[in-house]
Amino acid sequence: MTVLQERGIQIEFSGALNGRKFDDSATHGLSHCMKAVDFIVELPDRILFIEVKDPPDPAALPAHVKADYVKGLLSGAEDADFCYKYRDSFLYEWAANRTDKPIYYLVLVAFNRLTAADLLARTDALKRKLPVNQATPADWQRSLVAGCSVFNLAAWNKALPAYPAQRV
Amino acid sequence: MILSRIRFERFTAFDDLDVALSPGVNVLIGANATGKTHLMKVAYAACDITKTQIDFAEKLIRVFLPSGRALGRLVKRQQASSRGAAEVYRGKQKLRVSFSNHSTVPESATVTGLKAWGAEPIECVYVPVKEMLSNAPGFRSLYAQRDVHFEEVYADILDRAYRPALRGPTDAQRKRLLEIIQAAMDGKVTVKEEEFFLRNKQGNLEFSLLAEGMRKLGLLWLLIQNGTLLGGSVLFWDEPETNLNPKLFGVLMEILLELQRLGVQVFLATHDYAILKELDLRREKEDQIAFHSLYRDEGSGELGCHTASDFLDIHPNAIAEAFADLYDREVKRSLGVTVQ
Repeated sequence: MTVLQERGIQIEFSGALNGRKFDDSATHGLSHCMKAVDFIVELPDRILFIEVKDPPDPAALPAHVKADYVKGLLSGAEDADFCYKYRDSFLYEWAANRTDKPIYYLVLVAFNRLTAADLLARTDALKRKLPVNQATPADWQRSLVAGCSVFNLAAWNKALPAYPAQRV
Repeated sequence: MILSRIRFERFTAFDDLDVALSPGVNVLIGANATGKTHLMKVAYAACDITKTQIDFAEKLIRVFLPSGRALGRLVKRQQASSRGAAEVYRGKQKLRVSFSNHSTVPESATVTGLKAWGAEPIECVYVPVKEMLSNAPGFRSLYAQRDVHFEEVYADILDRAYRPALRGPTDAQRKRLLEIIQAAMDGKVTVKEEEFFLRNKQGNLEFSLLAEGMRKLGLLWLLIQNGTLLGGSVLFWDEPETNLNPKLFGVLMEILLELQRLGVQVFLATHDYAILKELDLRREKEDQIAFHSLYRDEGSGELGCHTASDFLDIHPNAIAEAFADLYDREVKRSLGVTVQ
């Protein structure tokens, strides 16, 4: 069983052919110039690029702290970062000749106060930015990304019960 | 003193309902036919009669327009004879009206608590779903002289909108609100021979040529400018999102929150997620917001209400449920079926 952990979030991938922490300067090699998703997991029929965020609860932030990750996320401020992490990771894997299966991009923001509407809005924004198939030019022969979705922990575990995510 | 509680017994769709109200913003959510508008109309009628001295039962008839103007039709429908009642509270003060389902005229209703209730007039405004300013010229005289089938809230809102500006300089808080609205709609509102215009650098644009969403902002501008919405007044707004571009929701909710900070009690019925979220994101710690979720109990089939002070504690939340369903379907589509 492949078990990967990013900060306080752990995900188990039963049945994965392999899985690795990708955003790791020791193994990535180009972290000075390329962004990276946190994990890359190969399943029998697909590859998962996974980005994990574990922001502090805004309610628990001290009054003087102005940066509120969740507020930024909701306003779309993180969309571009999610997008560049995917594209740079894709290029890295393409150059390594490891893009022979459809790639799905999963963004897990471990903050359960994000509502379904918030997650839907961010998923749509990410689809537009990457872009996902429907928005790609007619002469593209290959897919840059097969699909993408933004989750909180509850939504992840509901949609992907075979790969449980939990706070450790 | 503002409205603090509302109770229904066998009134319209409700069998038994008791809702504690916030002195600030009261947001009513729920699926269609869960009584959001009914609740607001009763509360509005109770406020309006303190100024107009109209009989409470008569005002209920005028704002609900039951068929044949028969008061008894406002009693919850059941086979046997029964009585319905509505109570509105201001602290310890209670205004109560009760009547039988056989009542045809307002005089047959029993109204209690009226004297103390009317001793302290309440300024109030009810903004109905359908926009009226563009149809205003001639409407009030038509309504006064003919038996036209319009709920009285439509005539009432025009009465408020036509009021002349308050005498004297505009205080700083109201001036700020007016400027926010002026920036959003790019102009000020003027009235010429009962016709409303948006006035800006390009000249006067009649309201009938103005986008309907902008007319809503124009109405709010008038109500603030003419001093109808001052501290101690009560604003009822039925589905403010109708025909308004979602980009303007933020401005609108900011103004409603500001009005609440000035002491205006606000009632808002909405079906829109963005309206709720704007309130949630813009609220400050001191803001007093109550989310009243009206729902039909699956077991009893009766209407109930759950009140929460936090956006995420709203339960049941018909709006969020619709989004949850959309999200689940989007995830399925995005990830395909083999991962499921």
